[in-house]
Amino acid sequence: MSDAYLPILLIFGVSALNAVFMVALSHILNPRRPTPQKAMPYESGMIPLGDTRARFSVKFYLVAISFIVFDLEAVFLIPWAVEMRALGWSGFVAASIFVAVLTAGLVYEWKKGGLDWD
Amino acid sequence: MDLGNVASLSLFYPEIVLAGTILVLTILDLVVANKRAMAYLGLAGCLVALGATVDLYGTEPTLLFHRMVALDNFSLFFKVVTLAALVGAIWMSIGSGEVRQVHLGEYYIVLLTCGFGMFFMASANNLLMAYLGLELVSLTSYILTGMLPHNRRSAEAALKYLIYGGVASGTMIYGMSWVFGMAGSLDYATINAAMAEGGGNQIALFMAFVFILAGFGYKMAFAPFHMWSPDVYQGAPTPFTGFLSVASNAAGVAILIRFFYPAVSTLGQEGAWAFQALPALQWTDLLVALSIITMTWGNLSALNQRNVKRLLAYSGIAHAGYIMMGLVVLNNDGLNAMLFYVVVYLIMNLGAFLVVMIVANATGREDMDAYRGLAWRGAAFPAVCMMVFLASLTGLPPMAGFIGKLLLVAAIIEGQFYVLAVVAMINTVVSLYYYWRIVKTMFLDEPAPEDGPVAATASAMPLLGALMVLTIVLGVYWAPLLDYTTGSLGFFMP
Repeated sequence: MSDAYLPILLIFGVSALNAVFMVALSHILNPRRPTPQKAMPYESGMIPLGDTRARFSVKFYLVAISFIVFDLEAVFLIPWAVEMRALGWSGFVAASIFVAVLTAGLVYEWKKGGLDWD
Repeated sequence: MDLGNVASLSLFYPEIVLAGTILVLTILDLVVANKRAMAYLGLAGCLVALGATVDLYGTEPTLLFHRMVALDNFSLFFKVVTLAALVGAIWMSIGSGEVRQVHLGEYYIVLLTCGFGMFFMASANNLLMAYLGLELVSLTSYILTGMLPHNRRSAEAALKYLIYGGVASGTMIYGMSWVFGMAGSLDYATINAAMAEGGGNQIALFMAFVFILAGFGYKMAFAPFHMWSPDVYQGAPTPFTGFLSVASNAAGVAILIRFFYPAVSTLGQEGAWAFQALPALQWTDLLVALSIITMTWGNLSALNQRNVKRLLAYSGIAHAGYIMMGLVVLNNDGLNAMLFYVVVYLIMNLGAFLVVMIVANATGREDMDAYRGLAWRGAAFPAVCMMVFLASLTGLPPMAGFIGKLLLVAAIIEGQFYVLAVVAMINTVVSLYYYWRIVKTMFLDEPAPEDGPVAATASAMPLLGALMVLTIVLGVYWAPLLDYTTGSLGFFMP
């Protein structure tokens, strides 16, 4: 029975060895001549402007979340709008319920003060 | 039957009632200042949904929403369990002053949404739906755990829960992607057909199942995916802890059984299942080992706990291990015992947390010292109830917990898993120590001079009494419940 599990052990062993081997090899073989340019953090070619761990106001997240909600609303409403005539009244009622539920969410956020910046 | 979107709605009314209640509560939260009214409305919504679920019970198994959701007795059983836990949790919350008034509206909304997610965990017939249901439950659980912003423990627990949960669901969805790669579909019926033809690479399939088990096991809190549970139980508001301990466990059991039984196994003669996906590997050995590790780890860790909520968290891990035993025997007797135990565990654990809440309400403390001489400090009835619940959790006759454990052990002995049965018995003896230490503290220890009288929360008394009576009644007259769980094993077979 335990023979059947042997390949799993082999995969673990080979992947661990491979990882160690590659890191170790590049560590041993590479020449080290650091210059200020080389020691700079790599940010896709841009020169880093400052510390990335700046603090953001938590209000940005609320705005971002509201954006996602309305973004998704558009994603669902566009296919309905394209096929509006074919879907008829039942489609219209379904879309209305969907928009009503989302509007309830917006009203909730508004009344709870989620849109007040200060 | 296989219904489309609009046709499904006529068989979907428990969910519609629950979703409608959530929406009405959302609007009500804005206009109503008295949050207690919201609790009553939530309670009423749950009871109506419960009635609707019971009304649907026995319907011919049907697939709803283009095969996404299964409607069968099995899913209806777990919906009833979830709604019962919701009713208990809301009732507990009414008597608890733990969550601040400003957050109380959100608290009820998110609590009901959590229950709504569990509906989909129980009835998913597609890995995508299973994942969505599980994530809905997880996200709402993180929020509810962090519902006490003035409490550092609550915030820490919520963050830990979020990180563990993220890792677990990432692992699970990775496993699901492997299953999708081998079966070519996320639909359980197609997966089943692919497994019947041999499935694919055995090793790859084994790994995929282990990954999926990790995600489901994290919801049930079995080792080694249990690390979140003690911190979360301690940090979360007590009514939600009670809900989480029973409903999250039940939903985990539901999603686990539905995936590993109807989806990848076949039902043979007389309720025996064949785990056809992995003919070459001993899948049950893994489950036996996990079950043994879980119950032993949970019980040994509980021995030295001084905080009662933390102790109940470790006891919950141990009980997840007991429930897992039903999974290894691969027959309907085992599944039946699991369902029975889920109900019994719901009753006794919710009761235990109710007493924890009553003591915390009166003293503001959750550690063992707060229970010193509880029976002689004006809280004799809660103390007696706690003794009944703890006796049941230990598995002593004539409590319901004894019958639950008896059914589980009987099933595994019949399946000839003798080692597992012996370990379970030893664990029961170990658990006797820490459960009965609480009983000893409550009845035999003298109250210290600084321990004031405990005023029992009046609104919690009817629920407490009902749970205690149920714990005893199901211990002596369990046949109706057993019939109900047997009837609930009607799966929608792919």
